[in-house]
Amino acid sequence: MSAPELVTVTIDGVEVQVPKGTGLVETAAAAGVEIPVFCYEPRLGPPIGACRMCLVEVEGMPKLQAGCTMSATDGLVVRTAAASEKAADGQDATLEFILVNHPLDCPVCDKGGECPLQDLTFRWGPGNTRMRFPKRTMDKPIPVSPLIALDRERCILCYRCTRFSSDVAEDGQLVARNRGAQSVIATFEDEPYRGKFSGNVIELCPVGALTSTTYRFEARPWEIQNVPSVCGMCPVGCNIAATTREGRVRRILSRNHPEVDGGWLCDKGRFAYSHLAAPDRVVDPLLRRARRYDELSWDEAIDEAVRMLQAAQGRIVTALSGSETVELAYALGKIVRQGLGSDCAVLPEEVSNELDAVRAPLSRIGQADVVVILGDEPVAERAPIVDLWVRLARRNGAEILHEVDDARIRSSERPVLIWSGEGAGGNEVARLATSFGCPGYFLPRTANGRGAADAWAAASDGEAADPDPIGLLIISGDEAAADPNVRAMAEQAEAVLAIAMFRRPLVGLADLVLPGTSYLERDGTYVNLEGRLQRLRRASIPPAPDELAVLARIGAAVGVELSAYPSLVFEEVSAIAYGGRPYGEVGEEAPLPEPVPPEAVDQVSDTRHVPDGQRADGGLRLVTYKPLFSGPAVERVPELEFQLPEPDIELAPDDARQLGILNGQEVTVRSNGTSVQLRARLVEDLAVGAARVAESFAAGLEGRVEVTP
Amino acid sequence: MTPENAATFRDEVARIKARYPSQRSAIMAALRLAQERHDGWLPPKALVEVADAVGVTPAHVEAVASFYDMYNLAPVGRHIVEVCTNLSCALVGAQQVVEAFEEELGVHAGETTDDGKVTFRLVECAGGCGYAPVVIVDGRYKEPTRPEDVPAVLEQVRNGARG
Amino acid sequence: MADLTVLTGVETRDLSKLDEYRAIGGYQALDQARDMERQAIIDTISEASLRGRGGAGFPMGRKLSLVPAPDKRSGPAYVVANADESEPGAFKDREIMRRVPHRFIEGCLIAAQAIAADAVVVYIRGEYLTEYEVLSAAVEEARAAGIFGGTDVIVHRGAGAYICGEESALLESLEGDRGQPRPRPPFPPVAGLYMQPTLINNVQTIASVPAIFQLGVEAYKKLGVESAPGTVVYSLSGNVNRPGNYELPLGATLRELIFEHGHGVAEGRALKAIIPGGSSVPVFTPDQLDVKLDFDSVQAAGSYLGSAAIIVVDDRACMVQLALRAEKFYMHESCGKCTPCREGTRWLVQLLEKIEAGDGTQDDLDLVVEVCDRIEGKSLCALGDFAVWCVGSYVEKFRDEFQRHIDEGGCPYHGESSIEGVLAPSDQHTHSAMAEVPA
Ligand SMILES: Cc1cc2nc3c(=O)[nH]c(=O)nc-3n(C[C@H](O)[C@H](O)[C@H](O)COP(=O)(O)O)c2cc1C
Ligand code: SF4
Ligand code: FES
Repeated sequence: MSAPELVTVTIDGVEVQVPKGTGLVETAAAAGVEIPVFCYEPRLGPPIGACRMCLVEVEGMPKLQAGCTMSATDGLVVRTAAASEKAADGQDATLEFILVNHPLDCPVCDKGGECPLQDLTFRWGPGNTRMRFPKRTMDKPIPVSPLIALDRERCILCYRCTRFSSDVAEDGQLVARNRGAQSVIATFEDEPYRGKFSGNVIELCPVGALTSTTYRFEARPWEIQNVPSVCGMCPVGCNIAATTREGRVRRILSRNHPEVDGGWLCDKGRFAYSHLAAPDRVVDPLLRRARRYDELSWDEAIDEAVRMLQAAQGRIVTALSGSETVELAYALGKIVRQGLGSDCAVLPEEVSNELDAVRAPLSRIGQADVVVILGDEPVAERAPIVDLWVRLARRNGAEILHEVDDARIRSSERPVLIWSGEGAGGNEVARLATSFGCPGYFLPRTANGRGAADAWAAASDGEAADPDPIGLLIISGDEAAADPNVRAMAEQAEAVLAIAMFRRPLVGLADLVLPGTSYLERDGTYVNLEGRLQRLRRASIPPAPDELAVLARIGAAVGVELSAYPSLVFEEVSAIAYGGRPYGEVGEEAPLPEPVPPEAVDQVSDTRHVPDGQRADGGLRLVTYKPLFSGPAVERVPELEFQLPEPDIELAPDDARQLGILNGQEVTVRSNGTSVQLRARLVEDLAVGAARVAESFAAGLEGRVEVTP
Repeated sequence: MTPENAATFRDEVARIKARYPSQRSAIMAALRLAQERHDGWLPPKALVEVADAVGVTPAHVEAVASFYDMYNLAPVGRHIVEVCTNLSCALVGAQQVVEAFEEELGVHAGETTDDGKVTFRLVECAGGCGYAPVVIVDGRYKEPTRPEDVPAVLEQVRNGARG
Repeated sequence: MADLTVLTGVETRDLSKLDEYRAIGGYQALDQARDMERQAIIDTISEASLRGRGGAGFPMGRKLSLVPAPDKRSGPAYVVANADESEPGAFKDREIMRRVPHRFIEGCLIAAQAIAADAVVVYIRGEYLTEYEVLSAAVEEARAAGIFGGTDVIVHRGAGAYICGEESALLESLEGDRGQPRPRPPFPPVAGLYMQPTLINNVQTIASVPAIFQLGVEAYKKLGVESAPGTVVYSLSGNVNRPGNYELPLGATLRELIFEHGHGVAEGRALKAIIPGGSSVPVFTPDQLDVKLDFDSVQAAGSYLGSAAIIVVDDRACMVQLALRAEKFYMHESCGKCTPCREGTRWLVQLLEKIEAGDGTQDDLDLVVEVCDRIEGKSLCALGDFAVWCVGSYVEKFRDEFQRHIDEGGCPYHGESSIEGVLAPSDQHTHSAMAEVPA
């Protein structure tokens, strides 16, 4: 791209040079001047100039102008409230009008202390009110959903929330109703706001109008600490701030990483934290004796674990979840591989290192002019934030393709490839992207499956051999514990040792259960789907000792030297897997390493084929997927229940037409004997010949399904 | 609406959409159509029908419908009698006309008669200022209407068919 | 009446019929224009210095030339006719559409020719049912007669919202959204309907175009005043003997209009106030009867010609009640997007109600003036200004009458005002079940 033309703008007497077209708010900031705003939020699209907080005086213009709607042109001379009587009076007026009907319930408002309205009033606003009439009153708070409460009296109608709904998430569910002074924010007929990203409106709201039901009255701003960490709920790895009070997580906020999440979070990442306090949390080591489990002391537990490890005589299989930190996966690997010579593992998923050759920041998707999405699974279910980047690209004029259109891709300037679904761990997409010389993204199923695999590989280079029979099955994490294959193995295994957070579904399966921890309770690193190493920081104290410390003790017992400190363990892994990158360098806003040259990565042999898009006779190809709102954490958060998927079957419009099925119609879905009633939904992003159903509704269905009205 | 009606409604809206460069532009016409098909007002299910036919969310349709005065989001009578009380009409006695209607109908402005026949309400300037006071019956202007004309107007309304 | 350019011929013929309109030379101006270069059409309209009749008086020629030429734009361009006429006091566009629909259509097509527009969209206010029917019939007649050439003509009905007369709100409404104004720039000629180049003009402005071509620029400019040639349809209403639309050359005085054409104040009452451009503009007092009714003269006298809607107020009307009724209108019509207009209009209504009820204090009266100042020039669109120009000027020009409400603790008219107790839509339960009526 050519360097943009620079223009000179004068703000309150200060001259600044900025690229032509830079927003005036940003231009002023560059000059060290703040233009206060409420409705302005560039991430929501073009400015709307609604709240009038940003009024400034512009030379050559008789009226005050809304600064947020102006952009830098050469010679522009602007005076803000700091330098202009007129502008100051304008801002004072705006604040007086906003406050005319804004209730004075700040003392009991969750926003109190971190409220832009409070702050701006404090700095620019009128000292007293001349409003002598009863303020407008409305029912409050009303539920926007089980997650969000709306206080319409506090709403200042900046339309941030409605713009997010219509222009960012594009779900069109949160809107303004009525006109003029009677306008209110609402959902259709006050039905709950269902959507994967609804929680973002809470952070966008500049007042206490939209608040989190789970954070309501939990803490005052001066009692809290915000711990900078990374979300462990999906492979995107959004940057988060975990708000804690008295060592407990009370809410999750976005910690905008412009390359990764653009400041958005999905509702799973934002609201699932309460699973830390789930009633069936394992807090003491548990040993199975006949029909029941006994709590063990930690010394007993570690002795028992070591005994089991040694008893297996090397016939150990380790099942990983992909939720372990790099350090934990490495520690486990080192113990069983170096210590006990058992190299056999069940990795959560294969993630091809060929991806390193085509890696790029997720934000690249938003700038693309052609986005090719391959694979059968909905992007938003696997990696929700990626869906927002794709929508941004479309709004910027990008074309979204669902098959590899060679000509179109080659003729475009900034194409990107995304693989959402099974696909040989991404080497398929890696190779395609390499051939087009463009970024390629693979959407794994687990948050750190990639890091876990790296770490496991780094722990030893011994050759894996499948033990038969299995002497000891180690189940690491609740996701592995829920995996049918792993459970099947557990039936065979002579003994089962599990490290997990929850009793369900382990009870009856494991002989020894060691308490596990959550990503919010650990220090360590994750590798996200871009291949970006990011730092997790302990936000809340786990109810049990740190896993790494436990593993270090077990290691010592089997003659494997392991540090109990993530930083030291990381140095060890990094030396082997991450080019010796120091722990400190992973940092607060982790950088993404440059792609490695294609010839430098060793190729994985097996590859699979791009879905052919053929409608083979004998019905449609059934595609099932794991919904975003599922899994051990979500299952333990009642507030998220309303977000669970609907009994829908998704069809490509072409197929639906052929079958004479309308959007929203009830249909019967049959495959070898089983038949299920589902509601048809026509979606553009599905390959012809495929039919998509959430796992939870696909019970008994498999292979090809017959769909009839 | 019966399924058949629903189908014809979708077809009619499809025709309207075809007229515009962008389909969303059909929302207002679709709302008017739906209102006619639902006894003069827009129950939630009507809004959903419009949403499906136009291809937007019901929430967006409600947002639009609630912005304009001529979409009724609550039930109305079989006939709608409206009086303009803006400046020009007010200056030549619109309030007396309003009172005459309230008297005759036994309802206040904004209400519907018990027999569900007539909704009586006030409107802002109808653009008949030169022929004031302006009364609108089922969309047709009666200009001017003086208090003494009110009984006759209502007589017509009561026997007259809709619109 | 030789001086007609918009309503020419209506007194002798039914010009809603195509053949009747053709019989008096209808659509010949269009043929003329179609034989001209685009630029030549624009130049003709510019030379005639035709100024917008929708309120702002902006030269149509300049607007035309702001639209990028076909080779400098991608995608379609549009002509949008603003037929939302909702300014209290105005009822001229309605008469034009009902009585000379073809002249209006012809104007639209000439404008379309000038900017090589792909389509013409007429946004007609929803309440104008008969006018919609007449106009649609005329459009279909013209379509059938093959007059449109390559240009499509769409008639779009509004649904009751004054703000949709504001051009950018109109576009939002037309695109299927809530009719809320857009920040500008970009201006419609650059990015208007569907963000494509769009010319927006008022019905009367457009209906004035054919005459320019028929009479020729010279003859046309002989009408009216130099700064604003041509004729305008004045809408006369209120306490006057012969209210109605009067098409006259621009620059007629208030006196001529009210006393010659309107036959004076009704029932021989004394003239108290005159609103010269629709309820939105500052009020005049009887001593200003000789102000010429053209854009510049009215502005020089401290008000605006606006939509040339003249409302006559006689001595029986209480100005506080008038201010209150006017403000209830703006509160009801405020779109709710920007803060000063949404909150300020409601606050003004509360203050004026209090004063009219006799409970007002000196502070309340001063506050009315200050709230007006704080809204003016700070809202997103001009509705905010409109909402204070009226009330502000009433207080300024009739201060003593407002003062007496304070001093005497009540309305000096003691229930005898001609608009005593007049109700407004905002006083009743609105159409929307959940909307609460402001206190
Ligand atoms: C609140 C508001 C209401 C308006 N209403 C109308 C209207 O009803 N009709 C109209 O032609 N212009 C109206 N206007 C002016 C339009 O915004 C626009 O200036 C005009 O249509 C341009 O046409 P013209 O240049 O031919 O006058 C209104 C403006 C505002 C701010
Ligand atoms: S709820 Fe908050 S974000 Fe939404 S419009 Fe009101 S103030 Fe703005
Ligand atoms: S920040 Fe500019 S108008 Fe709201």
